[in-house]
Amino acid sequence: MGSPFSMNGGACVAMVGKDCVGIACDLRLGMQALTVSNNFPKIFGINDSVYLGLTGLATDVATVSDLFRFKVNMYRLREERNISPDTFANLVSTSLYERRFGPYFVSPVVAGINQTSGKPFICGFDSIGCIDFAKDFIVSGTASDQLFGMCEGLYEPDLGPDELFETLSQALLSAVDRDALSGWGAHVYIIEKDKVTKRLLKGRQD
Amino acid sequence: MEVLLGITGKDYVIIASSKAAMRGPTVLKATDNKTRNLNKNSVMAYSGESGDTVQFAELIQANVQLYSMRNGVALSPPAVSSFVRSELAKSIRSKRPYNVNLLLGGVDPKTGEPSLHWLDYLGTEAKIPYAAHGYAQYYCLSLLDKHHHPDIDLARGLTILRMCSDELKRRLPIDSKGLYVKIVSKEGIKEHVFEDEGQVLPA
Amino acid sequence: MGGFDFSNHNRNVALHAKGMPLPKATSTGTTIVGCLFDGGVVIAADTRATSGPIVADKNCEKLHYIAPNIWCAGAGTAADTEFTTALMASNLELHSLSTGRKPRVVTCMTMLKQHLFRYQGHIGAYLVVAGCDPTGSHLFTVHAHGSTDKLPYVTMGSGSLAAMSVFETSWQGNMTRDEAVKLCSEAIMAGIFNDLGSGSNVDVCVITPEKATLLRNYITPNVREKKLRNYKFPKGTTAVLNEKVITKEDISKYVTVHELQDDEAMDVDS
Repeated sequence: MGSPFSMNGGACVAMVGKDCVGIACDLRLGMQALTVSNNFPKIFGINDSVYLGLTGLATDVATVSDLFRFKVNMYRLREERNISPDTFANLVSTSLYERRFGPYFVSPVVAGINQTSGKPFICGFDSIGCIDFAKDFIVSGTASDQLFGMCEGLYEPDLGPDELFETLSQALLSAVDRDALSGWGAHVYIIEKDKVTKRLLKGRQD
Repeated sequence: MEVLLGITGKDYVIIASSKAAMRGPTVLKATDNKTRNLNKNSVMAYSGESGDTVQFAELIQANVQLYSMRNGVALSPPAVSSFVRSELAKSIRSKRPYNVNLLLGGVDPKTGEPSLHWLDYLGTEAKIPYAAHGYAQYYCLSLLDKHHHPDIDLARGLTILRMCSDELKRRLPIDSKGLYVKIVSKEGIKEHVFEDEGQVLPA
Repeated sequence: MGGFDFSNHNRNVALHAKGMPLPKATSTGTTIVGCLFDGGVVIAADTRATSGPIVADKNCEKLHYIAPNIWCAGAGTAADTEFTTALMASNLELHSLSTGRKPRVVTCMTMLKQHLFRYQGHIGAYLVVAGCDPTGSHLFTVHAHGSTDKLPYVTMGSGSLAAMSVFETSWQGNMTRDEAVKLCSEAIMAGIFNDLGSGSNVDVCVITPEKATLLRNYITPNVREKKLRNYKFPKGTTAVLNEKVITKEDISKYVTVHELQDDEAMDVDS
């Protein structure tokens, strides 16, 4: 058994564009080298303009996504409004740090648009809740090294929604093709102020 | 070397489990049934540490039935799966976790939609069109990849199951003493007599 | 204090016993320094966050607010420095509200060392605490196991040796504010260029009895050269199997959201 982070495999990446953000994930679920499912999305809708990507140990991906569905529903009932991406990022951070000495084996990514200010927002976390606020892109998962390289090369600021989709998709597809544990198709979300486009990508099936 | 197999088709799910009860290299029983009916429209097949398996399966069975008694409705297969997953995810964080891997097959009584869920002892869950556990995964998933389609009829499903069974006989070093097969459809759960067609030898 | 939740601990110990390595946390393989001067204190830090050999964040903030007159530089496990300093910030705020006095640097340092000692080094926070209070200007280091030092100039983190060499050659008593800022920045630069765990920019915070000034990215010696051409892909490059567009109109079929105007904002006082 290797690290819990690389038992099931998977990759996630988020990027900032001009008045938009994108978040994408692969679809593989495996047990070490054996692929169990090729339809295991790792991006979860928090509300209309906030999305959460989770890579790592699949059981914890499911548990943590359920936990935040619960927490965000409670927030919405109490406050009668949707949670903003920056507030949600702090919720993720504190929830993970609460388990500092018994962490969930996940590397979350948050992407969204703040509906009040209209500003794009992305951030990433380590498994114990340290936030990485980035202005450009966030990567996570077993292909994170490859994604760092792809994004560092392909990314540029102020891409429009269509350009952002192409850059984000190509970065993810190229990265997962060089990771044995990720791939098997991808989901890409492009989030704009009052529109979200979800695309299923045609990726290699090996 | 326990075998669990699951295949969905147009309007049914086949769940198969090996008949051999093993302890180390010894076969203790050749008529072991590793499945439990949770309600009229879902079946669970289990493998893992002996003791844990039946204990966990019966815990789930009782709780699924309790839910139906309290609420007067049966849980749908995806709802059962979600419940089982949460129990496994709780268990893995406890002092002594259940070491149980599961396949959960069912047909939604209202929509008639078949579903098959793959779960492992960590609480990992995936809804997939065909599934296996244990060594069977390495031998059968490639066969299923090639021959499975979402809209196959029951006869075709059973043919593919036979191909899987033959491949296991051909490759596994220990005979799993045949398969118990259950078929779930909108009408309910039927046991299917899966005749043992004798030895299959590799080339 | 909410406290930690240990409910995953047994599972993770069992997993670890089966041969799984512990998770890689973001660490601030860091250079942080502090230096007293005539009439105040300066702290400074680099801005690189690492996860193993990977640079996780090129421009993170390692200078943490604790109180208006107390700031802290953090090295070690990034999440631990972030949350311990946030905990101290809120506890000191409550403390100064209940006593009606400005918080003191020794109080902060004592609370930190007691908290860290209780956790026997498992909370991996290595801190430089600095500030001005009615008893003067103070500079401390606090280690993860709970030990502390009080010195006129300090360095911590993986770049501490490089930074200390600068202090040991150039430090002198009774420096001015500008001299101290320059010395601290040079010490951080020594870390940035000579220690692999440190990099990117220099953040500085100057604290005097009157106010604290955060100089974020005070020096940026590692600016990435602008790309002369780009790798933009023409629209339609990526093969798409399925596309679904969700618009706000679709959503408003099911829920109605009314943004409050400024003049009809909820008035709590009335």
